[in-house]
Amino acid sequence: MPALTLSHVTKQFGHATNQVTVLEDINFSATAGEVSLVLGPSGSGKSTFLTIAGGIQTPTTGQVQVQDQSLGQLTTKARDALRLNKIGFILQAYNLVPYLTVQDQFSLVDRVKPQGNLSAADLSALLDQLGIGQLTQQFPAELSGGQTQRVAIARALYQNPDIILADEPTAALDSARVAVVGQLLHDLAKQHHKAIVVVTHDLRLRDFADRIYQIMDGQMTVA
Amino acid sequence: MFLALREIRHEKLRYGLIVGMVVLVSYLVFVLSGLAYGLAQQNTQAISSWGTSKIALNSDANESLSQSLLTTATTDKLALSDHEAYIGQAGVVAKAAGQPKLSAQFVGLQAHQFVARNLKVTSGQRPATARQILVDDSFHDNGYRLGDRVQLNATAGKYTIVGFTHNAKLSVAPVIYGSLGTWRTLSHVTANFKASGVVSNDAHFAPKTAGVQTLTRQQFINKLPGYSAQNTTFTFMIAFLMVIAMVVIAVFLYILTMQKLPNYAVLRAQGIPASVLVKTTISQAMLLVVSGLVIGALLTAATVLALPAGVPMSFNLPLLAGVTVGILLTGVIGALIPVRLILRVDPVSVIGG
Ligand SMILES: Nc1ncnc2c1ncn2[C@@H]1O[C@H](COP(=O)(O)OP(=O)(O)OP(=O)(O)O)[C@@H](O)[C@H]1O
Ligand SMILES: [Mg+2]
Repeated sequence: MPALTLSHVTKQFGHATNQVTVLEDINFSATAGEVSLVLGPSGSGKSTFLTIAGGIQTPTTGQVQVQDQSLGQLTTKARDALRLNKIGFILQAYNLVPYLTVQDQFSLVDRVKPQGNLSAADLSALLDQLGIGQLTQQFPAELSGGQTQRVAIARALYQNPDIILADEPTAALDSARVAVVGQLLHDLAKQHHKAIVVVTHDLRLRDFADRIYQIMDGQMTVA
Repeated sequence: MFLALREIRHEKLRYGLIVGMVVLVSYLVFVLSGLAYGLAQQNTQAISSWGTSKIALNSDANESLSQSLLTTATTDKLALSDHEAYIGQAGVVAKAAGQPKLSAQFVGLQAHQFVARNLKVTSGQRPATARQILVDDSFHDNGYRLGDRVQLNATAGKYTIVGFTHNAKLSVAPVIYGSLGTWRTLSHVTANFKASGVVSNDAHFAPKTAGVQTLTRQQFINKLPGYSAQNTTFTFMIAFLMVIAMVVIAVFLYILTMQKLPNYAVLRAQGIPASVLVKTTISQAMLLVVSGLVIGALLTAATVLALPAGVPMSFNLPLLAGVTVGILLTGVIGALIPVRLILRVDPVSVIGG
């Protein structure tokens, strides 16, 4: 069974005359153990696709299925719980709570979900791998764009989710860091059996993907 | 509490300003209602301090003690018990050598009756002779001392202050307690008149004597000159003040939460349960409003100490408790309205992808 399935998903914004269709009949599935890469130019609907897949935005029509649960049939509360336990989100912007230090971003997760998170040792290894081990006492405003992005990645992984949804996780990173992040996502899929979906226009990530899709004018095709 | 406290710690200035605003608003409400209530009290303090529950007056007196006169012929028919006492009220001007003139209310009592027996003396003693008087503390605040010899109106002879008593005000003037004989002199009436009226601490006191009308304490107080008008004014003033204070605080907390919606959207995207956000909002709003109220109350207490003794200020605890709870509740509701909003919509629509 795929970890994540979108069937006949469309998304429209606006009403009547100025209505735009951003996604048109999208059919997509992601499997545990694989990295799926969705490429597309700016404005093609990548973020819309990803946020619908993770249930923080509802599709106009169509179904989203996470493991055996259909998002449309869940209550808001159940959907929040599903995100907390199964889905790690790396959003394009605005991932961190501005008044929490890097360390507290993780502590907050411990408070609402005491079990199943990374151990302290694993977290510190992850932070070191991402090159942000020294930044735990900083507030988000004190981080650079690339550092923020890496903290957001660590935060999403900390919950140890089955599915990781990443929106432009490498936008602010140099090539060396891109390789680190790409390898990290690849290893998570292979060694920890995660389903990973990355939407990006960063072609440098192609080397780490098992499947590559193209999104263009609201249509998704296999590249 | 974790999120609530972290946020306050990180944004000290912003939260400090909100607390400061709650402090000012609650201070305003406390002080103004204290002043209004204090003034209202000065109309009735003396009557309340006697433990009055009924008051009997001449039925032609238009329900006013100072206009009422009871003849001995009438009072002889009243069959008083030791729950009743004669009161003779007369407006006077008091003066003593080297002291300012004071407008006061003279209250003539019969020494063995319950009102005279129960008077609380803060210093000195109760009058023992007709030439001795017991006066309200505000005489002391104006420089009068025990042993001062006081002239009342233009009457012959002087009266010696032998004691002070607390909270003795009638129609916003300080009370001078003396004898019924002195009252007759001040009122220019003969011995055919016994007193202005009769007060009773017995709720069943209801004489059927012709020419006598019996009022409850509240009926009597409401008829005090200017009392009802004054009270209506203050009631409306305080009510408006409270409503505006509650709305202002609710609006501030509403704006405060509105500004946090993007953060809440991030938290929801991460799967932080809605209940955590609601609890955070409530605990934070409570913390801000409660600290503001506490500081406002402390400031009010400091103000009471700092104000000159003559400024009437007194606090009605149920009223203040109501105000406090009202401010707290509206604050929390104000803070929660926007949260409801974000729990209904998709997080992304707030943060935008
Ligand atoms: N809430 C919205 N209301 C109206 N239009 C929207 C909304 N969100 C997105 N859009 C439109 O949908 C289209 C796709 O947006 P989306 O953010 O998914 O693009 P993207 O592929 O992620 O772009 P980028 O690479 O720049 O991040 C854009 O044309 C955008 O203007
Ligand atoms: Mg995008």
